[in-house]
Amino acid sequence: MHKLIWGVAIVAGCCALIAGAIFAGLFEKSVVAKGIEQPLSPDRMKALAAKGAYVAVTADCYACHTAKGGAAWAGGLPIATPFGTVYSTNISPDKENGIGNWTRADFHRALRDGVGKGGSHLYPAMPYASYRKMTPDDVDAVYAYLMSREPMRIANRKNALTFPFNIRQSLTFWNLLSLPGEEKAADNAKSAIWIRGQYLVDALGHCGECHTPRNLMQGMQHNKYLKGALLEGIIAPDITKEGLVRMGFDAPLLAGFMKSGISAQGAMAYQMFDVVHFSTQYMTDEDLSALSAYLFDLDAAHDTSVPPPAPKPVELAPALAASAHTTYRNLCSACHGAEGQGIPHVVVPLSTNVSLRLNDARNLVHTVLHGVPAQKFPGLERMEPMPSFKDKLTDQEVADLANWMRAVWGGREPTFKPEGVASIRQGK
Amino acid sequence: MTLATKKLSLTINDRVIDRIDVPYTMMMQDFLYEYLNLTGSRMGCGQGICNACTVIVEKDDGSLEEVQTCTIGAHWFEGKRVRTVEGHGSHDASGAITKLSPLQQAFIEHFSFQCGYCTPGFVTGATVFMDQLKRKPIARAELEQAIIDALDKHICRCTGYVRYHEAVRDLVLKTPGLLNG
Ligand code: FES
Ligand code: FES
Repeated sequence: MHKLIWGVAIVAGCCALIAGAIFAGLFEKSVVAKGIEQPLSPDRMKALAAKGAYVAVTADCYACHTAKGGAAWAGGLPIATPFGTVYSTNISPDKENGIGNWTRADFHRALRDGVGKGGSHLYPAMPYASYRKMTPDDVDAVYAYLMSREPMRIANRKNALTFPFNIRQSLTFWNLLSLPGEEKAADNAKSAIWIRGQYLVDALGHCGECHTPRNLMQGMQHNKYLKGALLEGIIAPDITKEGLVRMGFDAPLLAGFMKSGISAQGAMAYQMFDVVHFSTQYMTDEDLSALSAYLFDLDAAHDTSVPPPAPKPVELAPALAASAHTTYRNLCSACHGAEGQGIPHVVVPLSTNVSLRLNDARNLVHTVLHGVPAQKFPGLERMEPMPSFKDKLTDQEVADLANWMRAVWGGREPTFKPEGVASIRQGK
Repeated sequence: MTLATKKLSLTINDRVIDRIDVPYTMMMQDFLYEYLNLTGSRMGCGQGICNACTVIVEKDDGSLEEVQTCTIGAHWFEGKRVRTVEGHGSHDASGAITKLSPLQQAFIEHFSFQCGYCTPGFVTGATVFMDQLKRKPIARAELEQAIIDALDKHICRCTGYVRYHEAVRDLVLKTPGLLNG
């Protein structure tokens, strides 16, 4: 008995030591090379700033680091997490509130290791798990660019996180469990376009941060990379090749969608609207083709489009079909058209719409219940607002309507239940 | 080409419409114009944005709801009680208007509109707003914002809204029971 107690005590002691060592950051591995301590010369900084503007656009820094209606680069945007709200920080070169006093090395460590100036850990709402894969040259360029912006004297907002997540140092555990391991050497069998696409998707664009499901620790499930995830009540769809084909995309269509935000498959909405607005619309055609080529696993950019065939309609019980079709005609057809064809430049078509083809009807139901505000797209494109129908339709009517649309146009079985509508109605 | 039709019954301005054939795909606005000669509500945007086309649906509990007619199918109104802008005033036996509703009168006295295109929508929206106040009075201090919130979705190209808001405020203040305290 005595021995057992000692045994347990020793194991517990070891665990505590290991946990202590993890907490102290002894297991943390920096990917930042030592040479980065060397500051960049003013000329070099100047030369790099222009390049950095484009890198920052592809990495979509602005969208998070500028609050809606707030000063540029001054942070303050609330980011909801399962553990509370994190506010993005001021990354303008203000010495007091921003990164004005940060050295080149501080900046590299923040972006790639998730450790800010003075050693305090960043929350992974900042996608350093992806930026970790950025090249040192690109990080330098973003640093030079940000340092050339106007300093904003705006204080950072205090995060509102629950215990123990409000202890920054505890992120050493997260980092140990969630950060990707050593980078694999570039695959020589792949074309330059594919490799550029991979860099854009995996590192700069940090697509996986939203499109990959997360585990209990909120780390990306690497074995389900880009297979789709639930994000603030909306599905960020599966954007592996299989998922994209299911949605009706081929490589050129996807590249065009990322540029314009509008396609036969729908108009960008929710968080992807901001991604197009602040980032992808400004990406070069070459980069968008590369991004697309990588997601479709192609070695070259293709510009002729051969969209995948439309899904085969699913037969429905006649009574359900008749009542749902009546609902469609009464409430949807004025804008989306009797045949789901939409109105060019005004309303998206439904017959080819992504949300009718996804595994789950959630995005469609969410949109029917809560609507989508009017949106401005690149150029002169505009989409009119989608009204909310939560006061006009019962849960049963919404479920029937969604099931009918998905069966007729999306080739999906009518499996969505009124209970599902009820929970989305309550914002779950 | 003949359009497939379906029977439609509803009550409009207290007139019972019993089982008439209406195309499945017809919007309420077209039905009001083409079948009933009720041309008061206006087709503005046709996209559910300007709210010039709205009518009132009188619900079973007596409360009122504002509904667009440009984007909502006639058959959605099956079995419902509808009030269009023609139905707000008092009428004589021949159907001629003898008196405007207090709200319509207030819009005239305040010179609320110029071209008048948006007016049927404002009459509808403000009537529903007054009905809501009757059911749930608010404090005087909340009134200005409540008027803005209620009429915000109505677009007017001419007047700048101020005179509409003044007319509604004036009438609310003159009508007992809409404000508490
Ligand atoms: S005409 Fe109906 S909202 Fe504009
Ligand atoms: S009075 Fe002319 S549009 Fe309102």
